[in-house]
Amino acid sequence: MRKKKGYRKAKTDNVIVCRCEEITEAEIRAVIRAGYHSLEEIKRILRTGMGHCGGRGCLKVIARLIEEETEIPVSSQKFPTSRPPLKPLPLGLLAGYKNEQGNR
Amino acid sequence: MSRGTADAVVIGGGIIGAATGYYLARQGLKVVLLERAFPCAGSTGRCIGGIRAQFTHDLTIRVMLESIKMFQELDEELGVDIEWYAGGYLFLAFDEQRKQSFLQAIEIQKRYGLKVEFISKEECCRIVPGLNAEGLLGGAWCPTDGQANPFKVTYGYLEGIKRFRGEVLVCQEVKRINVIGGKVVSVVTADGNEFFTPVVLNAAGPWAEDVGKLAGVDVPVKPDRHEALVTEAVERCLEPMLVDYRPDGCYFVQHYGTGHFIGCYTPVPIVPGHNLDASDEFITEMPRRMVRLLPKLALVKVLRHWAGSYEMTPDGNPICSGTPVEGFYVSAGMSGHGFMFGPALGKLMAELIVQGRSTIDLNEFRLDRPWTKAEAMK
Repeated sequence: MRKKKGYRKAKTDNVIVCRCEEITEAEIRAVIRAGYHSLEEIKRILRTGMGHCGGRGCLKVIARLIEEETEIPVSSQKFPTSRPPLKPLPLGLLAGYKNEQGNR
Repeated sequence: MSRGTADAVVIGGGIIGAATGYYLARQGLKVVLLERAFPCAGSTGRCIGGIRAQFTHDLTIRVMLESIKMFQELDEELGVDIEWYAGGYLFLAFDEQRKQSFLQAIEIQKRYGLKVEFISKEECCRIVPGLNAEGLLGGAWCPTDGQANPFKVTYGYLEGIKRFRGEVLVCQEVKRINVIGGKVVSVVTADGNEFFTPVVLNAAGPWAEDVGKLAGVDVPVKPDRHEALVTEAVERCLEPMLVDYRPDGCYFVQHYGTGHFIGCYTPVPIVPGHNLDASDEFITEMPRRMVRLLPKLALVKVLRHWAGSYEMTPDGNPICSGTPVEGFYVSAGMSGHGFMFGPALGKLMAELIVQGRSTIDLNEFRLDRPWTKAEAMK
């Protein structure tokens, strides 16, 4: 049995794709249709990938949406650079400050 | 490979190219903007979005007063919420020498009507609740300075270019600028696309020197690395941009619309070259400096850390100028202030290109100046 291409179509396009910034599939498709065909541009316009997860949750889905809308295959799309610290860390911890118990 | 014509070709899709392209298009020119990668891929997309008129160079102060006026009305002009907010800028003085240099700067700034004053340590603490004021002598405070969203502004201008029938082309690196008889004739991209035009604007930011060379013009712009970080969004607790000029100081602001803290510092010594590597030093040093200044931030989490280029000129002031090549213009070398200069310099450069003169004379930013009047509040 062949795997069905693309994601299962939801009944609505109000599905949230970027959970950190609460961006829906419809919003992303609208930006792609406005002529923005790269993950970097969409990131700058909608903030997708700029939240807590750093794009782990949404970028692949958005890449698929770009492929569906523009026929630019996921494999030839450029993904934004992953930025340190990868997992959000408190300023105080990075600064080496100690808490009241003397722990870092 | 294709051929096209334009009244003006703008090289660079950052704030300077976008804004200048917009005001050229608004004057009726057919604009083609060529961007090497994607809009905001260079310095604009890496900046922290501060906007201030607190400078020491007379022309910079005048340009910034105009720019701030334009930021205030930009939502309406572009039809987007650019997230402008006048939270002010507070420059902190921790030693007598710094205090004196701020007092001198304030004297110059007041000549141009800027609402700026030197305030006491107590007033600093009132404006910034929770500020660690140990050793603080006071600060230079201007409540009309502010912040906006660099992406919103730049993309707003680019959409505006399209509305005025211009074109914005991404992934178009300029490889050749054809000059015949001392005049610009055409621009050729890596894909072999050629655009015939009487006007070319070099708005290539940290790459301005390379683009200048294509037309045989020496543009003394050298990039150096700055790093920045952004935290998660939290409840609003900081109004102004805080600037700490100590050798181990930093500057940061809380984004008004979203609540993220965003900030950076100028490394000592500087890190020359177009280097976009994020360093281990910054990711520990910047939090230390931020938490030292505002201890209540200790539990706020860092989301991301990145690097970008300041594009420095010998005197730290921009180059906005015609060149010995007819039709070839430069608007680059913003020396860390391109985003805030964007609206005003965009409009003024468009005037210079179309009318031959601008409403604020940009002569002091010309390419062949002596580079002696350095900016003190970099």
